[in-house]
Amino acid sequence: MREQEKVNILMVDDQPGKLITYEAILGELNENLIKARSGKEALDHLLKTDIAVVLMDVSMPELDGFELADMIRQHPRFQKVAIIFISAVHLTDIDRLNAYQRGAVDYIAVPIVPELLRAKVRVFADLHRKTRQLEMLNRDLRSLSARLLAMQDEERRRIARDLHDGIGPLIAALSMNNGMLAQQTKKLGPEVAEVLQQNNELVEQLSKETRTISHLLHPPLLDEIGLLPAIKMFAEGFAERSSVKVAVELSPDIGRLPPNVEISIFRIVQECLTNVYRHSGSKTAQIKISHTPDKLLSVQVRDEGKGMTGTNGASTTPGSSHGVGLSGMRERLRELGGTLEIQSGKNGTTVSAAVPVNKTMVKSL
Amino acid sequence: MRTRFLIVDDSELVRKSLRTVLQANPDWEICGEAPDGETGVQLFKELHPNIVILDFQMPGINGIEAARRMSEFAPAVPIVLFTQHASTDLERHAKEAGIRSVVSKTNAFPMVGMIEALLGPAESGPAVAEQGDSEKSQAE
Repeated sequence: MREQEKVNILMVDDQPGKLITYEAILGELNENLIKARSGKEALDHLLKTDIAVVLMDVSMPELDGFELADMIRQHPRFQKVAIIFISAVHLTDIDRLNAYQRGAVDYIAVPIVPELLRAKVRVFADLHRKTRQLEMLNRDLRSLSARLLAMQDEERRRIARDLHDGIGPLIAALSMNNGMLAQQTKKLGPEVAEVLQQNNELVEQLSKETRTISHLLHPPLLDEIGLLPAIKMFAEGFAERSSVKVAVELSPDIGRLPPNVEISIFRIVQECLTNVYRHSGSKTAQIKISHTPDKLLSVQVRDEGKGMTGTNGASTTPGSSHGVGLSGMRERLRELGGTLEIQSGKNGTTVSAAVPVNKTMVKSL
Repeated sequence: MRTRFLIVDDSELVRKSLRTVLQANPDWEICGEAPDGETGVQLFKELHPNIVILDFQMPGINGIEAARRMSEFAPAVPIVLFTQHASTDLERHAKEAGIRSVVSKTNAFPMVGMIEALLGPAESGPAVAEQGDSEKSQAE
């Protein structure tokens, strides 16, 4: 939305003369001015249009200003609408308090000072415009971060594939050539045989390192045979590299899931185990994946470490941040319509993710 | 009669190295090579090899799926999965698909010995009978 984009200001008064006055006062704000002659008419406009500010008379026949304010506030969509009351009567503190309790942002007494009214309305019109801009930027950011995560997955998959297709065969060929040479060791002198042996060890090391990089980038079994074997293989490798004992409990009926679900769950488990190793100090980790009765796939990673600072045993609030890792997990789950919950205390941390899974879709894969 | 090998691997370099290693044995010959699983299964049915060396990760169907199709056609022919991704879980899936043995590409030394063991006690010539004929597909 451009800075200059107009917002809607709704003016509610049963007296046409007053509406014309407000229009004259607010005209130079250059926003869209909408007139309503009754509370009911005002509600009609609110339902159809995104209203930034409601300027309304307290005393109106049928639905008065306070009643209208109550109705507006009860509707979740209108809770952020700024309501400004105007009144020639009802000027006691009790009346004002009544208005503010109904969510009014201001209470203006007649006679109106045009400059003041204009300035007040302008503040709330600008606030609304900025809020809308922020909401749009938030949406853009979310879709950008979802795209970035997808691109990161794709890029990792590509590099892993390049390692597999490019470097993998070279290592295999080297290994086989060495094998051929090893059969001829009798013909070689002891020094040459020694060098050959060293070469074998180098090839093995090279292959191990390449394999680790490739598997961390993208698990090869994920695309080919599915999430559970990929998680088991990753957990085995992780336990070997980190000396953290990993227990894996996977419900066998999970089967194949849509590719975006498989990669996201794999990444969440990967991120959790990385956190266990880097931050928790735990010597154990437990991965549990199962279906819940309400058709969710539950993914749980638990450790017995020192807990995360800032959570204090309570579930973390959605806004709290523990680095890119956790917000990345949240983003992935948001994309899948899932949820993330973290319980952390001095006896360890449990990260629980739940992802809706359409079983019929899974079976057809 | 020499033992006839079918090699299925998408890397020309790996196929070439396998040729060199396998042909070092005068009793062994390469009867066919395929760069992907589908072609591998097709050649398997046409050429009736005595043994198959099969890659896992290839374009199109993977080695496990290719092995499953080959095993359905001629279950007695030993299939060796030759892969960069050897793991206990992959091995389990491989066995279910009829694969006899999983060899890591990155440590190919034991391969020749393993093939000899798979081919059976006969030192020379194939222990596995010619495949494809229905009455002989029960061999082993």
